[in-house]
Amino acid sequence: MRAFLAMAVAGFALSGVTGAQAYHRFWANCTADSPTFMTTMTRDAAQDYANAARYEGYQWGGGCWNYDDVDSYPNDPPQETGTHGEGGDCSGLTFKTWRESTDTWRDGRYYWRALRNVHGPYDAAAFRDGNGAPNHVVAKATAGVMDAFASGTHIGMIFVRSLYGGDQIVEAKCESCGTNIFYRTYRSDSAYGGVGRWGWTG
Amino acid sequence: MRRPRFRSLAGGAAGIAAGVIGGVVLTSVSTAGPTPVAAGPVLIDATHVPAVLTLPGEAIRLRYGLVCTPRADGLPCDGSGTVYLRAGQSGPFRAYVLQRGDESRDGRYYLDVPAEIADSRDGFSYYATLRDEATGATVSLPSGGADAPQVSLPLREPLTVELGRHLFGAVRDPDARVAEAGWGSRPDEVGLVGSRELGYSGPSSFDVEPDGTVDMLDSVNGRVMRWARGRLEYVRLAGALDLADFAAEPDGSFDVLDDAGTLRSFRADGSPRWAQKLADRTWAQLVRGPTVLQQPSEQWMPVAQDGAPLSRAGQKRGAHTAKHLANGHALLLDRVGEGELRLAELRGNASVQAWRITSETPLGEVQLAESHGNGLVVVMRAYTDERDEFVVLVLGSRGLVQRFSVASGSWTETAPLARFRLSRGRLYRLRTTQTGAFVDRFDLEVPQ
Repeated sequence: MRAFLAMAVAGFALSGVTGAQAYHRFWANCTADSPTFMTTMTRDAAQDYANAARYEGYQWGGGCWNYDDVDSYPNDPPQETGTHGEGGDCSGLTFKTWRESTDTWRDGRYYWRALRNVHGPYDAAAFRDGNGAPNHVVAKATAGVMDAFASGTHIGMIFVRSLYGGDQIVEAKCESCGTNIFYRTYRSDSAYGGVGRWGWTG
Repeated sequence: MRRPRFRSLAGGAAGIAAGVIGGVVLTSVSTAGPTPVAAGPVLIDATHVPAVLTLPGEAIRLRYGLVCTPRADGLPCDGSGTVYLRAGQSGPFRAYVLQRGDESRDGRYYLDVPAEIADSRDGFSYYATLRDEATGATVSLPSGGADAPQVSLPLREPLTVELGRHLFGAVRDPDARVAEAGWGSRPDEVGLVGSRELGYSGPSSFDVEPDGTVDMLDSVNGRVMRWARGRLEYVRLAGALDLADFAAEPDGSFDVLDDAGTLRSFRADGSPRWAQKLADRTWAQLVRGPTVLQQPSEQWMPVAQDGAPLSRAGQKRGAHTAKHLANGHALLLDRVGEGELRLAELRGNASVQAWRITSETPLGEVQLAESHGNGLVVVMRAYTDERDEFVVLVLGSRGLVQRFSVASGSWTETAPLARFRLSRGRLYRLRTTQTGAFVDRFDLEVPQ
């Protein structure tokens, strides 16, 4: 019994030395639930959805968050999916807000819960190019609420146009700045193109 | 030494196994589990693009969007709202119920302003409250409500400036380069971070003091670089500076507004003086005062008074629609549609002069609008889906005094409205390239 206890203590200590602990485990709380197919999708409901992701952080390649207004794992090293922190990245947030399918040929409306960990098949450049059945390029001058501006490296959705000619953009911006609504001038920046989602119902 | 017996060896092995398993399980529980899924706070927000300058006879529809806690059924909020309107800028408000429409692209809730108010010679002022019926949460817009309502004035007899189709590629070269630094972290260099995949970030803002000193916010290296009388100095600053806006105050202090909405005041030596959260959730521009253009109110809000920070309630109460100009007047500005800009210079509540600028090429954001001589300097962006350039307009009492284009390309991202400053009647531009950051000067004609 003494040997058992002594070795148990040693084993316990060893377990902490080796790689038993992954980098973060926020993703362990996320789900793999199927999305809910919906017949409606309004721009203001999309505003509700994206607005609720504010302050929940940013995770490169991510798409899972809760609603506690805190980034559980801020300031991870950028461009590492393996950090498994909270939040979406820019294209993941757009994909979930726009209720898209993981199958690029489907253009239906699929409601993903916040804790459903899904990024979707598009990066910012794919959105910019209007890839996938639900997406299309729009003229920037006519882009409206919950359309988006995308470059080769980033995408943000129009929360609302602003008085001085810029836009309030809801976006998962970066590890240090997280997900929030920022005033941006993407509309007039030639690095960005306009992109929209087919199928708004109001 | 006694040889270990089989039972001891087995017990030891079992102990190690039990210890490792126990350690792994406990580690997993402590890290993986359960980060609770919070029900979350009740969310309420609103959107509105104010009707600041209207044309006589123009139908005015005030539109609002209501943003709430997402519903489990994926539908929009079940909301309602009231607009409080009055003719002119004093007297009691009268309540009008918002209508709920089928479309939310421009705001689901709307009110057509009654003709007797819309046609008022003194314009009108208004605020709104919106309510989420599911939670009972309410929001006022502007956030100061009746204490600081939105102002709308008729644009009477404006000088018309038709820009036509913008000619890309005919940009003006600067008259002088007043500051420059290569990328790096040495005293004479400015910091750069990022990657091709994420984009680059460098100096996010700058300012030019009345004596000609150029201050560049070196966000990456945590300092202000100062070009003064031919010498380069720097002042170290602490805190988040990435994509921050910046203003140099007349007393030698610095204001830094970070992207999380906290304004920090620093003494001339860089030591922190105070920090204050903004009243609204989003900001567009910081100017001396300090005063910040905030959203969703779309108003200029003072963040300090007599050197001390204002509370968030104090910011809301002190908010104003018009921007204060250096000449003591105020400016109302309204970017309308794809290619129109309306401007009215005010003395008190009375319009001194007004301009209506139209363009066949879409117009983007107004980067700068300041008094200059007896007129204004306006810098805005003209764009198509493929190209963009800044357009500089000098406006006077007879219309357009001077017009030229300025290249807009930048290697790094800056604060949104921090590319231009006007000082001593000269226009300054912050620009970055693959090799470094620069501040260039453009001399302007002076409207009489």
